[in-house]
Amino acid sequence: MAKQAQSKMSRVLQRRENVAGYLFMLPSLIFFLGFVIIPMFICIITSLTNTNMHDPGMFGSFIGLKNFSDLAKDQVFLKGLANTFIIVIVSVPTVCAFSLWVSSAIYKLKGPVLSAFRCIFYLPVVTGSVAVTVVWKWMYDNYNGILNSVLKSTGIVEKGINWLGDPKTALWCIILILFTTSVGQPIVLYVSALGNVDQTLVEAAQVDGATDLQVFWKIKWAQMMPTTLYILVITTINSFQCFALIQLLTQGGPNHATDTVMYYIYYTAFKLTEQSGHFGYANAMGVVLAIFIGALSALQFKLAKEK
Amino acid sequence: MKLKKVLALLLAMVMTIALVACGGGNQNDPAPSTPDPAPAATPDDNKTPDPEPAPAEPAGASEITLWTYPIGKWGDEATVKGLTDAFTAETGIAVKVEYLAYADGDDKVNTAITANAAPDLIMEGPERLVANWGANGKMVDLSDLIDDTDRSELNAAALASCTHTSGAIYEYPVVMTAHCMAINRNAFEEAGALQYINEDTHTWTTQQFIDAVAALYAHYGDTVGAVYCAGQGGDQGTRALVNNMYGGTFTNAEHTQYTWDDPLNIKALEQLKSMDGIAFDASLAGGDEIAKFYQGALKMAFCWNIAQQVNPNQADTGAEKTVTGDDIVFMSFPSEDGNSKLQGGIWGFGIFDNGDQARIDAAKEFIKFFCDSEHTVDAVKAANYFATRSSAADGSVDLSGVWADDPIMNEYTKLMPYLGDYYQITTGWAAARTAWWNMLQAVGTGDDVAAAVAAGAAEANTAAAG
Repeated sequence: MAKQAQSKMSRVLQRRENVAGYLFMLPSLIFFLGFVIIPMFICIITSLTNTNMHDPGMFGSFIGLKNFSDLAKDQVFLKGLANTFIIVIVSVPTVCAFSLWVSSAIYKLKGPVLSAFRCIFYLPVVTGSVAVTVVWKWMYDNYNGILNSVLKSTGIVEKGINWLGDPKTALWCIILILFTTSVGQPIVLYVSALGNVDQTLVEAAQVDGATDLQVFWKIKWAQMMPTTLYILVITTINSFQCFALIQLLTQGGPNHATDTVMYYIYYTAFKLTEQSGHFGYANAMGVVLAIFIGALSALQFKLAKEK
Repeated sequence: MKLKKVLALLLAMVMTIALVACGGGNQNDPAPSTPDPAPAATPDDNKTPDPEPAPAEPAGASEITLWTYPIGKWGDEATVKGLTDAFTAETGIAVKVEYLAYADGDDKVNTAITANAAPDLIMEGPERLVANWGANGKMVDLSDLIDDTDRSELNAAALASCTHTSGAIYEYPVVMTAHCMAINRNAFEEAGALQYINEDTHTWTTQQFIDAVAALYAHYGDTVGAVYCAGQGGDQGTRALVNNMYGGTFTNAEHTQYTWDDPLNIKALEQLKSMDGIAFDASLAGGDEIAKFYQGALKMAFCWNIAQQVNPNQADTGAEKTVTGDDIVFMSFPSEDGNSKLQGGIWGFGIFDNGDQARIDAAKEFIKFFCDSEHTVDAVKAANYFATRSSAADGSVDLSGVWADDPIMNEYTKLMPYLGDYYQITTGWAAARTAWWNMLQAVGTGDDVAAAVAAGAAEANTAAAG
């Protein structure tokens, strides 16, 4: 009897705790549902419709996969997709490799010096992207920017390079800025991961005659795999979603050389053209982008798991 | 345990309050409100021509919203506050103002239209109000505000530009100007290029322009003028430059077709592309070009008008001067005989149809107040352009002498006879603009000029065909 009462009491307490837990989660849950889950479903549904700004109604008319077949023929979208993949393919490995290299070099440093390095590399992450972009825009300026001033004064070039106005250089300039704003967090994470590597395993391997490379590859790298996976996924998503830099610096130009899928989504949905406000078409691009991001992230998870 | 409960309760209260606060939105507002950098609704005695002891009680809506692009000092909060305070004092209708930038103003308006949160009033030109939002059925027809007297007072071309092909008037024009270009007089003097311009008439021929650029390039050895094409901002300058050099056109006279695949335009583009000292610059838009000219990096600006001449780069560092103190001379665009056709700029008010008749009536009252009353003088002076009508308030207010005491504005009137066709109301205008700067980028990156022009014009004509 006493046991039954105790069990009932424990269930009541458990329920109370559960209710309290859910109540605490409720505000976040409302935001998550309202701003992530519901819009996600709306995006998927409207990608199959001709929803647009000019016609009334939230969902327009159902047009099946027409938006997707149109995308396959849209040269600007295909160019944007190609540019997006270039950004991902270049920036993800370089961010990962560079941050691993920097972390390996600094993680054994003493407290204040290590903190200083962490601050330096993390600064572009916490600085507002608009401020970062404005500074870079000034540096890239082909009339009186610092890059051209240095190159001209040292005699490396005779005439200033139009960094953001030349299709040969514009996308690489964007990738460089993206790189500087992306390495901060991976460096901080790798420094922590390297500090948490089990030293007994390292010492045992060294006693067994393992080289530094072998120690890194067989012991440290293996233990850092969860961190690496997280960095890979986050950097991939950030690279796929490159938008602010394009909007603030090049608006997709010159001659679509820096168009990305994210920018083209925004352009299709909101720019002032007769074709503007084609939310169905823009959402179809969003769905395609999400599929690519999901597929690549899944691939990364699978590879990391196998490793 | 008690303390924990109290803490949990407090935390929950804070979160709830935060949620409510984030929810925003005044439920008493009849329409979704916009961020309010705008004035309080108290009359400003200094600026109110006819101060009342207390604001009048409005019969209908007590508040309207106005979104304005930076049209002269209509983009300046202090100036606009003086104007709207005067309106509020007389009518009792408060005006919430939001200031748009050309860089992203269109996006904001489009987003607001989508969210059914468009402002009551908007101030801009017919290319947006008539050819885009009006044509898409978002604007209110203002025909009932314009009677025969108004028609006789208003500039006929300006009114025609504000009238949709359906006959509906979607914009009440207030001010107009002719867009032009500018040169750095000191740089021209140093390079020996002053001989190529007529400083008295502010005109030059295409050959003189070519010679002047050659002289400047020989002297400075770098880009002296930029065919900017980063975006649509200021694109009237590049269109006027290309069209005028050899007499090409942008649309047909009926405004039904884009004609910028005209061989004369191709000739002009090829000429510009071949010139040392002229760069097709996809990193600059109109505003950036003005800044570079103002800083002295460029020796001529193709994006210019009287507002820039009075206050270059809106930097408040003195009229007709660069930041280094060089003299700025405004010029007509070069043409073969020196008689160019300048692009007009027309600005006025339109009303978004938000379905609330009381607010529409209040917005119409605002328009009548600033476009056809003794207050029109203030509206024109704030814009820094020229009035679109000879007189207002049934002829009782003469607007012909608004700028009589201003030597710069008077000098600028020399360009007004060159005002050309206002073709910006051609169907598909927004798409045509985009196609234009994309075409310039393609030419700049080395694409075949004729092919790039043909592709761009075809894209524009597809939009024109609907």
